[in-house]
Amino acid sequence: MRKVIFNIILIILAFTVQCGIFPLMPFLSATPNLLLILTFSFGFAHGRDAGMYYGLFAGILLDLFYSGSFGFYTLLFINVGYLNGICTRYYYEDYITLPLILSVVNELVYNLYIYIFRFLVRNRLDFWYYAKEIIIPEIIFTVVTTLLIYRFFLYTNRQLEELDKR
Amino acid sequence: MESKRGKYILIGLSAFCIMLIGITSFKDGFLTPLRSGFGYFLIPIQSGVNRTGTTIYNELRDFSRLKSAVNENRELKLRIDELMEDNTRLQSEQFELQRLRELYRLDQDYLQYEKIGARVIAKDSGDWFQVFRINKGSADGVQVDANVIAGGGLVGIVTDVGANYATVRSIIDDVSRVSAMAQQSGEHCIVAGDLMVYRDGRLRITNIMDEADIKGGDRIVTSNISAKFLPGILIGYAVDITIDTSRLTKSGYLIPTAEFDSLQEVLVITTLKEEVEATGAAE
Repeated sequence: MRKVIFNIILIILAFTVQCGIFPLMPFLSATPNLLLILTFSFGFAHGRDAGMYYGLFAGILLDLFYSGSFGFYTLLFINVGYLNGICTRYYYEDYITLPLILSVVNELVYNLYIYIFRFLVRNRLDFWYYAKEIIIPEIIFTVVTTLLIYRFFLYTNRQLEELDKR
Repeated sequence: MESKRGKYILIGLSAFCIMLIGITSFKDGFLTPLRSGFGYFLIPIQSGVNRTGTTIYNELRDFSRLKSAVNENRELKLRIDELMEDNTRLQSEQFELQRLRELYRLDQDYLQYEKIGARVIAKDSGDWFQVFRINKGSADGVQVDANVIAGGGLVGIVTDVGANYATVRSIIDDVSRVSAMAQQSGEHCIVAGDLMVYRDGRLRITNIMDEADIKGGDRIVTSNISAKFLPGILIGYAVDITIDTSRLTKSGYLIPTAEFDSLQEVLVITTLKEEVEATGAAE
């Protein structure tokens, strides 16, 4: 139970940091997508259903932040949480290669999703420009951040699980 | 067993989301109470985190700027003397202008809109969209379609309002289109945000008629025929105007007056274009 509350607080924190602090730093040419990292980590570590519900929560936060069509991010995040949950059978605690690969794949999917449904549909065809200027920098930043956050997340969750068992 | 149920829930939720996207693409009014209610919970957190972040960042920045500031101070003192002189001259001109205005009964003074100050508390961190959130909402008189300015230039338009927050779409966002005109000649054009040219600090100007008199260096302001933007707000300066391949229109770029990278405070004009037009028609 403590674990769930902690993880929800973590999502809210990630959301506020992502929207409140990163944009203040103009020297960051790209910013890591913390919500995406958390969602896929939850899915990967706790399984499909958990991933889906955490994804639902993260997606709703993002949808509430943007005006316009509601559900755009929720749809993506629940699927990310669920699909990463499938990989949970390959989950070992100190195994970092697979999470990093997943992080790259997820970022790619996330950015392609935005590109296709928000830019391509408006006839913005120069994909390579967007890939070079936005998608690749963001992927690099996110992968680096994944290295840090994933470890932190595993450690805290292990501690909390032990607390819950007592 | 549990995973099977999960799959159904996933499909159900996905379908529900797609349905919501469909509905809200056409009409998203009914979600306002939800967004607003959530705002009560989330905005204090965002404001707090934002304030701490801003303070730390500003401290660091101030420190690094201290050195250059000393030099700048010396130069600026010289400037003050010059400006004092200018000011005296301009004041006398201002009086002259006032007299002439009264003479011509120019009752439509652009600078008389009511404004309130707001702080930028959150911003989309990714690079795809240029939207941000401010800490004033409907309780302070902010409405959807209110114009937002900063640093003497147009910044964006309010797209969504909650009780204590409002979401603003910048004019540099890829979907932004502002009906504008050259201040000098009054010729119309469209100022469009474009992610690809914004990287160079520019916006696009399109739809200039072939024979229109718009040149590089012209002041571009919001036009009087725009449905949502109040007339006469400075947007920026035109550069690199060229004739399109079709030879019927011209297009070029605009360098905005407002600085979008370092936005912290903005002014929201609480008067809407519709209201101005309605009172104008009633008179």
